[in-house]
Amino acid sequence: MHDPSKKMPGETAFAVVLVGLSGFLLWQAILISGFEALSSPGAFPMAAAFAMLVTSVAILIKTLRLRERMALRFFTDVAPPVILAMFAMMLGYALLLKPLGFLPTSLLFLTVSIFALRRRGLLWSFGVSLASLALVYVIFRLVFTVLMPSGIVPEGEILAWLGDLFSGGDAQ
Amino acid sequence: MTEALQFFLISWLDLKLLGLVALGTFAGIYVGAIPGLSVTMAVSILISFTFAWDVYPALCLMVGIYMGGVYGGSRTAILLNIPGAPSAIATALDGYPLAQKGQAGEAIGLSTVMSFVGGFIGIGVLAVAAPFVSEFALTFQPRDYMLLAILGILLVGSLSGESLLKGVFAGALGLLIGAVGLDPLTAEERFTFGMVELWGGISFIAVMIGLFGVSEALTQLHYIDKAAVKQTIGRIVPSWRAVGKYLPLSMQTSSIGVIIGALPGTGGDIAALMAYDHAKRITRHPEVPFGEGAQEGLVAPETANNAAVGGAFIPMLTLGIPGDAVTAIIIGAMFIHGLNPGPMLMIEQPQMFWFITGALVLANIFMLIFGLTGIRLFTKIVEMPRAVLIPLILLLSIVGAYAVNNSITDVYWMLLFGAFGYLLKTYGYQVGPVILGVILSRLIDENWRRAIISEQEDLGRLFLSILTSPLSLVLFGAVVFIFISQTPLWTGLRARFGTARARGDGV
Repeated sequence: MHDPSKKMPGETAFAVVLVGLSGFLLWQAILISGFEALSSPGAFPMAAAFAMLVTSVAILIKTLRLRERMALRFFTDVAPPVILAMFAMMLGYALLLKPLGFLPTSLLFLTVSIFALRRRGLLWSFGVSLASLALVYVIFRLVFTVLMPSGIVPEGEILAWLGDLFSGGDAQ
Repeated sequence: MTEALQFFLISWLDLKLLGLVALGTFAGIYVGAIPGLSVTMAVSILISFTFAWDVYPALCLMVGIYMGGVYGGSRTAILLNIPGAPSAIATALDGYPLAQKGQAGEAIGLSTVMSFVGGFIGIGVLAVAAPFVSEFALTFQPRDYMLLAILGILLVGSLSGESLLKGVFAGALGLLIGAVGLDPLTAEERFTFGMVELWGGISFIAVMIGLFGVSEALTQLHYIDKAAVKQTIGRIVPSWRAVGKYLPLSMQTSSIGVIIGALPGTGGDIAALMAYDHAKRITRHPEVPFGEGAQEGLVAPETANNAAVGGAFIPMLTLGIPGDAVTAIIIGAMFIHGLNPGPMLMIEQPQMFWFITGALVLANIFMLIFGLTGIRLFTKIVEMPRAVLIPLILLLSIVGAYAVNNSITDVYWMLLFGAFGYLLKTYGYQVGPVILGVILSRLIDENWRRAIISEQEDLGRLFLSILTSPLSLVLFGAVVFIFISQTPLWTGLRARFGTARARGDGV
C-alpha cells in the first residue's frame, strides 16, 4: 500500500510525531544517569534514543522533500470509519471485560462487530458469534485452561455443577 | 548418544506432546494459508496461551506452528497468487501460473514434498552443526555478542523493508521498549515515570500481540469485502518421477536455505528468493520458462524456506540471537519459561536441544501428512469470510494479552501498540525489527556494559580489541557494510557493475 516515492495523507504529521517522541525519549534517557560513565544504566537507552532521533529526523526530511502526493484521504484510506470503529469496540471490550465478565463481553463484541462488518442479519451474526465463542471457550478456557474474569456469569459454579454431574454419573 | 536419542524421542513417545505437535502444525498450515494471517501473528497470539504450561508442551506447539506456518503460506501463493506469508513470495512466481494452467493439485503436492525435503535437511544441519557452533560460541566475547545482535537487527531492518532508516528506527524503538523498567544490573529506574507498574517493564507479549495480531487484523479490514477465490484441485500426491527429478536441485536450494536461515536476522523469505534466483541461473533449459509455471521455480523456494527453519534455530539455540521475527518470539517465550537460549543451554540443558530437534522432525512429518490430505477442509477454511475471522482474531488478541499476567493493563498496552503498529505499517515501517529489538535489548545492553567495563571505560581500547580480533572484525565489518550498502555511493557502484555484467552476458 505504501509507495516511498509519494506522500500519504498524515505521513508528515506521523514523521513529526516520531521526531517528538524520539526527542522526548532521549531527554528521558539522559535523565536516567546523565553522562557519568559509558557503562552507566542510561548509556544504552541514550544510544538507542539517539539512533531513533537521528533516523526520525532523516525520515522527516525525506518526507518533506516528497513532492508527489497520493490521491488518498486520511479518514477514508488511512483511518477509515471501519477501522476507528473496530478499535473503539476493542477499547470498549477492555473496559467491560472485568465488570461484565468474559462470556457476555465476548458475545456482545463478536455479535456487534460481525453484524456491522457482514450486514447479514442480527440473528445470523448472533448464531455465528455463539458458535465461535463456544469453540474459543472449549479450546482456550477448557483445554488451554486460560483464566478469564467471570464477571456476572457464575462460571465456576456452572463448571463445578457440570463436573459433579459427570462424576455423579460415573459413580452410579 | 543414547541419551540424546532418548531426549529426541520424548515428543514422539508421549501421546499428549505428539498431539500438540500435530495440533500446532495443523494450525500453522491453516493460519499460514489464510491470506493476511501470518505465522508471526499465529505464534504471537497462541504462545500467550501456553505460558501457564510446562516447557515441553509449550515448545511442541510453537515448533509445530512455525514449521506448518512457513509451509502453509505456499498454498495461497499457488492458488490465489497471494503469498500467505513473506516466505512464500517466491513461490507465487511460478506456483500461480501452474494453478492457472489447471495444475494446482500437482503444484501443491510437489511443494509439500519439497518442503518436507527442505525441512528435513534444515533439521539435519541443525542437529549436526549446533553443538559445534555452540562450542565456538563459548569463545565469543561480550563485544561479539553485541555486534552480532546489532547485525541481526540491521539485517532484518535493511532486507525486509523499504528503507534502512525506517528499519533502524524500528529496531532502536524496540531496544528502548525492552529497556523500560528497573535496570537488571543496578536496579535504577528507566523510563518508568515514577510508576511502580512499569518497574517490571512493558509486557513483551502485549507488544508482540499488538504489533503482529491487532495491527495486522486492522490492516485486513481494508480488504473486508474482497471475496475468496474458489479453485478446483485435482490430484495432489506428486509422482515419484517428479520428486526424483528435482532432488538434486532441492539439495542445493536446501543448503542455501539453511545458510541464509542460520544468519542472524535473515529468515525464510530471503532464503526463498535467493534459492529461486539460484534455480533460475543453474537451470539452463527449463521445460517451461521461469515465471510461466516452471516447476523448478516452485521447488527452489519451497525447499529453501523450510530448510531455513532448521537453520534459524541454530543461532537461536546456540547464541540466543533470533533469526527472524518468529524466532524472536520463540526466544521470548523460552525466557519466560526460564530457559536461557545461548551457548550455555547446550551445556546445561542438552535435553532441551535434542527435544526441540525431535519435535521439529515430528512437525516436518506432520506437515507432509496434513499437506497431502484435507484439501477440502482447506478450501472451506480459506473461504471463511473476513467479517467473521477478524473479530475472532481481535478477540483472541485481547484474551491472549490478558491471560499472561491476568492484567487489564497489558490489554491497554496491546491496544496502544496495535494502533501504533498499524500506523507504522501504513507509512512503510517494518514491525519485525521492533520485536527483534525488544528481545535483544537486554543482551545488547549487558554485553555492551561488560565489554566497555573490561576495557576500563575506554572507547579507543574497545575499538582496538575489535580490530585485532578476527571474529569481532568480521562482525564489525558486516555492520559497517550494511550502512555503506544503503548509501548512494554503493548503489552507484552496483549499477555500474550490473550494467557491466549485463554487457558481459550479452557477448
